[in-house]
Amino acid sequence: MAGQEGTTGAATGTGIVETARHAAEHRVEGTDNSLAVRVFSAGNDGGARPVLLIHGFASSTELNWVSTGWITALHDAGRKVIAVDLPGHGLSPAPEDLDAYTPSRIRAELLQILQDNHVRPLADGDATSGVDVLGYSLGSRLAWEFAGTQPQLVHRVVLGGPASIDPLATFDLEAAQAQLSGGAAIADPTTAELVRMAQLVPTNNMFSLLSMVEAIKTEPFAPEEAVPSMPILLVAGERDDLAGTLPTLLELARGHQGSDEHVRELILPARTHANAVTSRAYKQAAVEFING
Amino acid sequence: MGFNEYWSTNVAELSFPLPDLGEGLIEATVLEWLVAVGDQVERNQPLVEVETTKSSLELPSPQAGKVLRVNGEPGETINVGDELIVFEVADDSAGIVGTVPQDTAPKRRVRLSANLDED
Repeated sequence: MAGQEGTTGAATGTGIVETARHAAEHRVEGTDNSLAVRVFSAGNDGGARPVLLIHGFASSTELNWVSTGWITALHDAGRKVIAVDLPGHGLSPAPEDLDAYTPSRIRAELLQILQDNHVRPLADGDATSGVDVLGYSLGSRLAWEFAGTQPQLVHRVVLGGPASIDPLATFDLEAAQAQLSGGAAIADPTTAELVRMAQLVPTNNMFSLLSMVEAIKTEPFAPEEAVPSMPILLVAGERDDLAGTLPTLLELARGHQGSDEHVRELILPARTHANAVTSRAYKQAAVEFING
Repeated sequence: MGFNEYWSTNVAELSFPLPDLGEGLIEATVLEWLVAVGDQVERNQPLVEVETTKSSLELPSPQAGKVLRVNGEPGETINVGDELIVFEVADDSAGIVGTVPQDTAPKRRVRLSANLDED
């Protein structure tokens, strides 16, 4: 649901090239991988620590990060970008197997993708080791869990539009299926809004998106089980109703780390869940944070 | 004009309204100012991100100059035609308020005779 196709920012600025577009080379648990990987490099990164981007529900790398100017901003900061499309989103296949959509399976594939892209565990004083992770919305949930479980790999995390309670967990799947097959309108406002936003993107495969919701409901977000121990920046629009529980994540991270020195918050005035991603203040803060 | 303190500094105020963004849109909401009062901006530099009912977009500066005033806090709605930003510019470049001064004269070439040899 992140990312709105606006006219803001260049699609891909001068000098930056999409150097690869592929699935993970090596299969995870013997089954085909379902995350499409897009690598953007400008040749100015000199082996600098790469940045992993994870978009939100019903969005894509293209909508969440490319057309909103993020690739350009990260390129200007001298970073190589590894961006993934979630299963059934963007350039990724839409598997029928429900397991492909579970957060645990996605995290396993993310790890494989970083291996395939030669990301090495963090080493003291080595600015080329590890990876910085940026997520938005559902991508922030995945980034929180990935960072919480892979502290040896993740240097810093920036989570946009995050919620400590996954709005997809209360998604009324039956009502959505009924409405999509021509039945009664959805009663639950959150469900109705998510379906409305998902349908704004004509290329979205609604049945695949519903598979993702179903899979996520089997693994609800439990942020307290994997709290990131590295520096973390939480960002949300002032009018982002879906990120209303951001303070809970702040508190968890500060409690876990024992101080608020490396747990930061940025609230973007007047922004909503849909239009926060284009903010230059957001991009600038994220770049400064991961470079800091 | 010599007794006018303002003009004696050889600068003028140049006000720009929120432009017509097309598609019958009559207003836009300010999301983020990308320049601040006192900034020296170049022509085509992004000034502000605004959101309409259709999309959000960054408006480029029609003018080089120093920002004197901006109108609209993030979240506030501005009507098309209302003052968006005021620049302080050198006196001779002010032109007529509300028009966009051109950096160069527009060039338009019209071929008056057909060249039949050209394929």
